Amino acid sequence: MNGLGGADGIATLVAAIATIVVLGGLLGERRVFGWSQHLFAGLVTGYLVLLAITEVIVPRIVVPLAEAPGDRIELWLAAGLVVSAAGAPWLPRLVSAVPISIAVGALAAFALGGAVIGTILPQVTATLVRPDVDVTTTVSMAAAVVVTGLVLIGFVHGAPRGRIVGGAASLGRWLMLGGIGGWLGYLLFSRLVLLVDRVSFLVGDWLGLGR
Amino acid sequence: MNDRVTRFAAPLLLLAALAAGVLVSSDLDIADPDPEAVDELQAVLSGLEDGTAVLVGFDPDVGTYAEVRPTVRTLIAELAGRGMDISMVSLTPEGRALALAERDRAERLAPDAPAVADLGFVPGAEAALVTVASAIAGTSEVATPTGTAALDGIGLIVVVGGNDLGPRSWVEQVLPRIDAVPVIAITPISLLPEVEPYRQSGQLAAVIATPRDGAAYRLAADLGPYADLGDAGGGPAALAIVIGLLAAIAWLGEILVRRIAPALAARPERDRS
Repeated sequence: MNGLGGADGIATLVAAIATIVVLGGLLGERRVFGWSQHLFAGLVTGYLVLLAITEVIVPRIVVPLAEAPGDRIELWLAAGLVVSAAGAPWLPRLVSAVPISIAVGALAAFALGGAVIGTILPQVTATLVRPDVDVTTTVSMAAAVVVTGLVLIGFVHGAPRGRIVGGAASLGRWLMLGGIGGWLGYLLFSRLVLLVDRVSFLVGDWLGLGR
Repeated sequence: MNDRVTRFAAPLLLLAALAAGVLVSSDLDIADPDPEAVDELQAVLSGLEDGTAVLVGFDPDVGTYAEVRPTVRTLIAELAGRGMDISMVSLTPEGRALALAERDRAERLAPDAPAVADLGFVPGAEAALVTVASAIAGTSEVATPTGTAALDGIGLIVVVGGNDLGPRSWVEQVLPRIDAVPVIAITPISLLPEVEPYRQSGQLAAVIATPRDGAAYRLAADLGPYADLGDAGGGPAALAIVIGLLAAIAWLGEILVRRIAPALAARPERDRS
């Protein structure tokens, strides 16, 4: 074994057992794998509750309200709305929907505003303003336009088309397949890194081999 | 019988082969690494003075964290070695859990290194990012587990991505609200199509997409006095990766043959008829 003692040793042992159980799913051992999923779900739920209490409710709501109750009217109002929505199901939906509506609306507004100001405008600007246009850039952009056009033609179904359009559509589909294949290759490599990491953990950190 | 043997033996053989590959091979290395991403990162780091405050937005995905972990640890070791004042903030629960684990590890392995300040978990998704941006801009403070923190002296933002609130969210919510603080990102390769446009437009000063750029960066990094914080042996074993790739190709080939074989077998009958 790895020689780790105390809490580190126990944590490594638990992690090793969990890893073996999950890898056991490869061999068709679904029952223990199912238990590990339940264990994981329980741990995650407990962790989220703990996080909500220790890092959100207490420091951001309870403490400010306790320290200066008169200064945080907005916090009283928000807490009252949330508590009433969660704890009084007999309230009309118009009232109980207010906190959720505010949360969803605010998030949507931030996300939409950010997408326009942070992504669309700067990206359009960066695409339009190219002070260093050289032959390579021009060829790359032309190739991108051609490939995009061919892939789009590949999606044309049902419309009457001649030999040229049919050939272009076929080429577009093959280009798309090539792109997806390349991307899946990237993902395969990425996931292999994760699998090898788990095997390395079992062999090195747990069994202490090769160290 | 054959099916059962294949179903049980093939995964066992694969795991055994991967274990053997892990034992006998060295870390994934790149014979001719593409220096562009690493050069961009080093240029950003070189432009910072010692003691610069660095904010690490730590929100990787638990599922893919193993892919970015060695690179993240190496970067933190390099930042600590350069005397940077590092703070960590998380906007997702799983990012918070991983950030705590990394802080514990750093304190355990390099107790004499400057402590990584814990800014905790800021709830609210995009709204939380706006709060952080306001703190960086100096118009407010961000609540931490131990009180509040001002972030107006931040000179570099490092985003460890993989989750919903990754580099794109930081670019969209934080960059428009602050002045000229470079943002660099470490992400798994699956996020590369999402972050590459931001790198090309200059909104992200550097992007290290693992495992490719991560391996190149780990080769080039200057870890200084806190090399223990880095994860020198944390990269994937090269031989194990090759074995895994060969197994995947063999598996896909077997599926292809199984699908094509009936068609090929049916063809002579069709021809005869």
